[in-house]
Amino acid sequence: MGHFWLRIALVLYSLGLLHAILTVVGRRQKIFRVALGAIALGAIFHLVALVEDGLAMNHFPATNLSEAASLLAFLLAAAFLLVHWRYRFQSLAVLLFPLIFVLTLPAALDRSADTWDLPILRTAWLYLHVSFIVLGYTAFFLTFAAGVLYLIQERELKSKRPRAFYYRLPPLESIDDLAYKSLSIGFPFITLGIVSGALWASSVWGPSWPTDPKIAWSFATWVIYLLLLCARWVGGWRGRKAAYFAILGFVAILATWGTNSGMHSFVLR
Amino acid sequence: MNFYLVGLSHKTAPIEVREQLAFPEGRLADALQQVAALPGVRETLIISTCNRVEILARAESSPTDPSVGLAQFLADFHQLPSQRIEPYLYRHHQREAIRHIFRVASSLDSMIIGETQILGQVKEAYALARSAGTLRGPLDEALTRAFFVAKRIRSETGIASSAVSVSYAAVELARKIFGSLEGKRILLVGAGKMSELAARHLLSHGGSHIFVTNRTPQRAEEMAASLQGRAVPFEQLFEYAAQCDIVVTSTAAQQFLIRKADVQRLLSERKNRPMFLIDIAVPRNIDPEVNKLDNVFLYDVDDLQQVVNANLQERQREALRGEQIAEQEVEKFLRWLKTLDVVPTIIDLQSQLEQIRQQELARVESQLGELTPQQREAVDALTKGLVHKVLHSPITELKTLAQQPDGLRLVETVRRIFNLKQ
Repeated sequence: MGHFWLRIALVLYSLGLLHAILTVVGRRQKIFRVALGAIALGAIFHLVALVEDGLAMNHFPATNLSEAASLLAFLLAAAFLLVHWRYRFQSLAVLLFPLIFVLTLPAALDRSADTWDLPILRTAWLYLHVSFIVLGYTAFFLTFAAGVLYLIQERELKSKRPRAFYYRLPPLESIDDLAYKSLSIGFPFITLGIVSGALWASSVWGPSWPTDPKIAWSFATWVIYLLLLCARWVGGWRGRKAAYFAILGFVAILATWGTNSGMHSFVLR
Repeated sequence: MNFYLVGLSHKTAPIEVREQLAFPEGRLADALQQVAALPGVRETLIISTCNRVEILARAESSPTDPSVGLAQFLADFHQLPSQRIEPYLYRHHQREAIRHIFRVASSLDSMIIGETQILGQVKEAYALARSAGTLRGPLDEALTRAFFVAKRIRSETGIASSAVSVSYAAVELARKIFGSLEGKRILLVGAGKMSELAARHLLSHGGSHIFVTNRTPQRAEEMAASLQGRAVPFEQLFEYAAQCDIVVTSTAAQQFLIRKADVQRLLSERKNRPMFLIDIAVPRNIDPEVNKLDNVFLYDVDDLQQVVNANLQERQREALRGEQIAEQEVEKFLRWLKTLDVVPTIIDLQSQLEQIRQQELARVESQLGELTPQQREAVDALTKGLVHKVLHSPITELKTLAQQPDGLRLVETVRRIFNLKQ
């Protein structure tokens, strides 16, 4: 049944995708309300699907890549609704809605394809590790998106020749505020995710785990975000520099995510 | 049913001509009566503002084109020869006339697209024509719809959403930088008229503390008092600038007052919190190099003007969407008009009753049993006669009353009570 609800959520999310496409092509704003409603409703169905899956399989549905992606999509949808409620950022939708759709797609289409069905992975550690990381990624994606919006809007304001973006993007300070808040929320989650992963790995696989490329990348990512957070706290960094750094951090996240397509190399050894 | 519009506007006539043809407010009611008395004219409305003079009328088609009469009236009323005003006039008929009035009310035809004044002026003209009794049928409906169209275009497009004056553009930019102006501090360097205007705009949009500084302290005191702010000594300019988010400069200084190094110092004191610097002095008070710093946005008078120009272009782009909406609404209005025509109503009425007659005949067919051809004919004639008699009076009334002012209401009523499709 969980599958069924997920597909309904996917159909609703596709309205969000449609909104993003129409906005890019013909900047039609009217459909936004429909898309927003669809995303909200989709998120509810998505939650139902997650809970049902969890009950049916007797575990938290974050045990393979498509499940983790779908969880990420749900969190992004929820985060967008929260941000929209707080800041009224319509423009974020163009970046987020397609991503939500794409991340939900694999889980909604095929399911049992590649479960990590290793008994060694069936522990509470896995759920903790994956959930923390996914929560952190959600927040960092917002930091990244805010960084992109900031750079565009800053250019518009510096150039003094406002074009279409100037009229449609939110104020600089609100964008920066979002970037800062999402960074401060994401960082503890990523830290917990990495710590839980490290504890788990060293208890199971012994001391050889740090040689894994995925771990190297995730440490690099963690250091980038740590620097950014410190620079903001202590050095009074904000605006453009912070935005560039946030984008850099997200590139590192993508590299981490991409390495070994989801699983660590040492797991299969 | 025909609509005619004759008029001139800032697009076709220079101010010298427009002022000669404007209707003085006191004589408008009189003018409305005179137009209403022209041959064939059933309803009329006159819009007279500094940018346009337009006479809109509903008239029955007659051997002479009613718009010729309207143009002639416009000339006669102002005691001008009609060939003198002819080159400045435009005439619209039917669909074009309705579209024109929709566009005017929505401010799509205004000198500054999206300005709000014109809607109020059209509403005044409407109220005046109503009270003069020259508006009481489809033209009245056309105007009511024009107001609706104006509202729709305003809310669905951005024709009125961006600033088109320099001082308001400054406020808009401040909001694009800071979001809300709530709690933002403002420093005025120099006490000129322009900076005062900008300051008032900023204050009315939420700006809080205002500081004024000037080389002659007395002038600063005066302006601070009128803005309910605080005058501060000119020597402490940078001390206060560090506390302020928005700085407006307008002194007559011949050299830069604020240089890049100064602003760098301010920024580090402010922990890089953004600053918006508005330099409305000529020659400029702030080194343009300052704009290269992160988290600082410096705009001089030309920059503000450039933003205004961009906003005007943006309004023009949005106006294209407004035109589409106006076109849709014209279409809807014309469809509504068609239902008011008497002839289709009479035909609808006849076919409706004929349909009922046929249905009833079919229903009782079995109860009548076998009928001879003569009997069948008699039943047919009886029912036909019945329908004919029932319809006789409504149809004649429709035909005669449609010529009169309230005829349209009657047509609508008839359609409703006989349940004819709209």
